[in-house]
This record gives sequence, structure tokens and C-alpha cells, in this order.
Amino acid sequence: MAHVILKDLVKSYGSVYAVRDVSLTVNDGEFVALVGPSGCGKTTTLNLVAGLIPITSGDIMIGDRIVNDLDPKDRDIAMVFQNYALYPNKTVYKNLAFPLQMRRMTTHDMDQKVRDAARMLDITHLLERLPRELSGGQQQRVALGRALVRDPAVFLMDEPLSNLDAKLRVQMRSEIKRFHQDFDATIIYVTHDQLEAVTMADKMAVMNGGYLQQYDTPAQVFANPVNLFVASFVGSPAMSLIPLEAATNGGTTMLSSAEGWTIALSDQNARKVQRAKSKKVVLGARHSAIRLHKTQVEGAVPAKVYTVEPTGDVTFVQVFLSGAVVNISLPPTFEVEPDEQVWLEFDQNRMHLFDGETELALND
Amino acid sequence: MTDVTAQSRPAARPGGTRSDLLRQIWISRADYLYVLPAIVVMLVVIAYPIYYTVDLSFYKTPPGLQLKDKSFVWFDNYTTILTSGVFWRVTLNTVIWTIASTLIAFVLGYALALALHREFAGRGIMRAIFIVPWVISAVAASYIWKWIYHSDFGIIGVVMVQLGIVDRPPNFIDSVNTVLPSLIVVNIWREFPFAMIMMMAGLQTVPEQLLRAAQVDGASAWQRFWHVTFPHLRGVSTVTVLLLAVANFNSFIIPWIMTGGGPSNASHIWITHIYELAFGRQRWGVASAYSVLLFIILMTLGYFYVRALSQGERRERGA
Repeated sequence: MAHVILKDLVKSYGSVYAVRDVSLTVNDGEFVALVGPSGCGKTTTLNLVAGLIPITSGDIMIGDRIVNDLDPKDRDIAMVFQNYALYPNKTVYKNLAFPLQMRRMTTHDMDQKVRDAARMLDITHLLERLPRELSGGQQQRVALGRALVRDPAVFLMDEPLSNLDAKLRVQMRSEIKRFHQDFDATIIYVTHDQLEAVTMADKMAVMNGGYLQQYDTPAQVFANPVNLFVASFVGSPAMSLIPLEAATNGGTTMLSSAEGWTIALSDQNARKVQRAKSKKVVLGARHSAIRLHKTQVEGAVPAKVYTVEPTGDVTFVQVFLSGAVVNISLPPTFEVEPDEQVWLEFDQNRMHLFDGETELALND
Repeated sequence: MTDVTAQSRPAARPGGTRSDLLRQIWISRADYLYVLPAIVVMLVVIAYPIYYTVDLSFYKTPPGLQLKDKSFVWFDNYTTILTSGVFWRVTLNTVIWTIASTLIAFVLGYALALALHREFAGRGIMRAIFIVPWVISAVAASYIWKWIYHSDFGIIGVVMVQLGIVDRPPNFIDSVNTVLPSLIVVNIWREFPFAMIMMMAGLQTVPEQLLRAAQVDGASAWQRFWHVTFPHLRGVSTVTVLLLAVANFNSFIIPWIMTGGGPSNASHIWITHIYELAFGRQRWGVASAYSVLLFIILMTLGYFYVRALSQGERRERGA
């Protein structure tokens, strides 16, 4: 296994930039998820690392080698694709053997490696089958096997779970995580599903518009999103973001809404707001950091319930507040009706504040 | 879904009686009414001629358009055909013509489809140019090629002389030895665009991910073709080859217009030979017997074509 370093990586098609100045380091044995919405440049970044498309500028290092101009086969990588990309006319055995065959390995060594990989992934009984005779999960395992058999420096995975049904996806998620742990594999994993990234990866690289927005552990990204995009993208349900204005009244800094209500800020939050470029501030709060009251309470702001979604363990309530939709989680025993008048109280310690102009997080 | 429908439908009784059949027909009488005109037309223009040809193949027919003096001769016409030297000559010609035209046109079309599948400047124009031979009329093309091959004024001969390859222009279509290959060249020229279009359409269905996977696995361009593209296009290839084979077996325009089967039957293939026997020499009985033999051979080819098609479908369904 090896580390991977991307330095100022750029890919442009004429004047259109798919990837812009992406720099990040994937340490040896680390599982890194590239995550972002469609068209954010995550798959392009992966294909650049794989060598399937040429880079415009920047450097890619795998291990201690700069691989910018190397063919995919010389980069010591293995790739798992969205549709598994198993050769449909070859048996599982031949699929696993293919990368070795292309490297002119002797039949004896090849057989050994194929059988080892098959044993590790528990697909030995499938070796003589054709891919179309396998279930989605089995095909997935064969695809992993074909990557594993090569003993590559880095595994690249391009949305490998997005074709599976919900139940199998959860199962395969833990299998891939287990795969990572068992083989100490360096993995770069592309997904549009932030939940996959959060649950599987050691670090997540959130991308948007070709730029790397934030690169950190899932816990850090979740707790301290650097800007509005990351805040809205990571977490399910998404963080509620309410555009407000900062105001000062008799030495107290507060946030005021167009609807007329205000929220007085703690000292720490007041210092954050004072760093904003203008008066425009966006208040961010996760569903669990908002308390819902059925009666007026000191410091709570009035709102109206829009929908109530019981999920069993938790009931999610959506509330309209100052033009934004606010998600709140409640215990299932809490009874609330659509269109009911409620009051929301924001937890000052778990409140996120963003500059309304620059969209960056405001820090103390 | 389908299972449910199948179950909810009453199961067909084994060994349905005659009245069952009549009732079935009565229930779908409107359907029969709708297809009736088509059936009538088919009977008149296809079934009856086939029947009449088979019938005529057992008769000796005096020359002339009056067929009333024909006499029943059992399999005499077939024996005449199978024992004549011309039959074997024409059959050999037909086999060479069909196999050479089919394979070379297919390989050429396949190669061009692969070349034109990549993005490059001028690809659209190239594609348009390559399709030209297929869209111009076969009759016009035959006359053009007749002049291109002409032993006195043909452009190929003139160029060969000027380049000093030969002393005088060769007899492409006036010589027994070169006439068939020369005609095959024209036929390939006319047919390769068809193979090219079929294979280009097929190439668009090759999954990009498979090619990328093979690239990462270390396969060269040739290996990617051999391990991914070629197997993926096996169904399209089979259909293309069979369609070309049937078309070539049935060729008429190019050999008839360019040489009329000559010199000394060297470029006769079955269809031109039958045409000449019937409408040139008015040997209706023998020509009919030839047609019946040809029909049997083509039906056999057709059977394999349909089988290949349905196997391809089954493969795609993943059964």
C-alpha cells in the first residue's frame, strides 16, 4: 500500500474547469471519500488519479513516484466501478485472472493468486459462474476480488454501491469497510451519498464546482463545516440554514429576522458575528440542536409547523421560519400537528454562524 | 407481474377440440379480418408463384412463352442440373462470390467502424463519404465500374500503364481469370458501408466502463478490442454477416449489368444463371428447378439467421 498526494490538480476542457486546484494527501492505509453533488468533479478527480484522462496541470504522486504521465496500468492502482464492469463473457475465475494475465504472470502463480483472493472474499464457489449468474452483491465481491488480486498500491472506487438496492447497500457498505480494515488498503472512494462517506471513510473530501471545499475527518466536517455548502451537504436531514441580520441593542448582539423576532447571542457567538463582512449572517442548526416548545418561552422564536414525519425512532418536524425550512427531531411521543403555532429555541453552543456574503463559517 | 397474469388466465386445456379452435377463431375474428388483405396479397404474389415454380420444376417445357405443351418429367430437370458442368461452375462462383464478398466487406466495414468510432477532426465528413457507395444506385454504380475497368479507356488500366506496372491495360472483366475477383471488388465497395453502419451502431453499445476497467487491468488497445469489444459485438457481427451472405447469395444487378455472366460463364452466379435460363433461353422447367434448389439453400441460411437472432436476444436478456 502507498500514500497518494494530489498537488494543485487541475482538469479543464477548454474554458470549462472540471477540477480546480485540488490538493490533498491520502495517507498510507487511509480510506478517503470524495463526496459532492453530480458534476462536482469527484469522478473526474478519481479518473485523473487512475490515469484514464490526462491532467491539465498539477501533480499526482502515488507512493514516491510522480505518475502524471504514466498509463493506468503502470500506476499500480486497481479500480472498482459503479456497474462493477465485470467482463460478461468471462467466468468469475477469468475475470479475476484477467489483470494478472495482462501482466504475463505464469499460470501457476496466477492460479494461486486468484484462489487466494477468491478465498478471502468468500467467492470460491462462484469461480466457474458467469457474471450474469451472480447477484448484485456477489458481482460486487468479484469486482473487489479483481482489484485485490493485483495487490495494488491504491484502490480507486467509483460509486460502487449506487446500483444496489437499499438493503444490500447497507450490507455492502460494511463489507467494504471490513475490506479496508482487513487489507489495510489505501482507498479513494467516490460517492454522491454523504452518508456513505460519513459511515465508511477515515477522511472525507467534500467537493463542489470543481473545488475542494473541506478535507477532514467525517466528525470534524460534521461538527465544523467550513462554509454554507458543506453545512448544507453533510448530514441527514440537512442542517437548517436561516438567513438573518446582525444587530446590536444596548450592548447585546442579536440576530433579527424580517418577521420581527430576534435571538440574543451568547458572548462567544456575538464575537463570531462581529467578524462578518456585513450585517448578513446565516444561522445554521442541526435538527437535534433546536428545541420545540408548544408555548412561548424566553429566547424562543415563533414559527408554524409545516409537516410532521414520524420515522419510528424519531419524528422529524419541518417548520417554516423566516423563509427557510427548519428540520427538528423530536421523540415520537411528542405530539404536534401541522399548522400548529410553535416556538423554537436554538442551542447557543451548537449553533453555526456563516457570513452571508462570503458564505464562510464565522469562527471565534 | 407476468406470473400473476399467467396465473389469472384460465389454463389451456390439453388436447383442445376442434370446436375450441373454432371458438378461438370466432373470438378473435376481428383480428383475422384486419390481416386478411395482407394474407390475400401474400398468397397472390408470394405463395402462388412459389407453388407454381415448384410445380414447373417437374415439367419439361418447350421454349416459348406458351407453357401448354409442357410434359411431366419427374426429377429430370434436377438430374440435368446436377450432372451439368455449368451447374458446378456456377455453384463454385456463387460460393466464392458470397464468401469473399461477405467476409471482406464485413472485415473492412468493421475496421472502418472502429477507426471512425474515435473522435477526430473530419470524422463526420469521412463517415459521409464512406456511406456514398451504399446509397448510390447499384445500376449506376455497375455502369461506372464497367467504365473504370474498361480495357481501353478504363482509369485503372491507364494509371497502371502510366505507372509502368504493366505494358498495356489488363482485361479486368473480359478475362475468365480476373472477371470474378473484379466483380467481387465492386460488390465489396458497394457493401462495406452497410457493415460499417451496423458495427458503428454496435460499438455505441459497448460499455465505456468495461473498456476503462480493461485499461486499468493493463490491457493494450488490441487486447481491449479482443477481450471486450469483440465479444460484446458477437451478436451484431453474426447478424451482419448473415444479412450480407443472404444479400450476396441473391446478387443480381452488379454481375448482370457488368458482364451478363460472361465470359464463358466465368462470372455467372446462381441468380444471373437462373435469370438467363428463364428469360434468355426460356428453359422454364430447368430454371424453376434451379430456383427451388436456391430456395432450399436460402431457407437454410435464413433458419440460422433467425436462430442467431433469438440467441442474441436470449444472451442480452441474460437467460
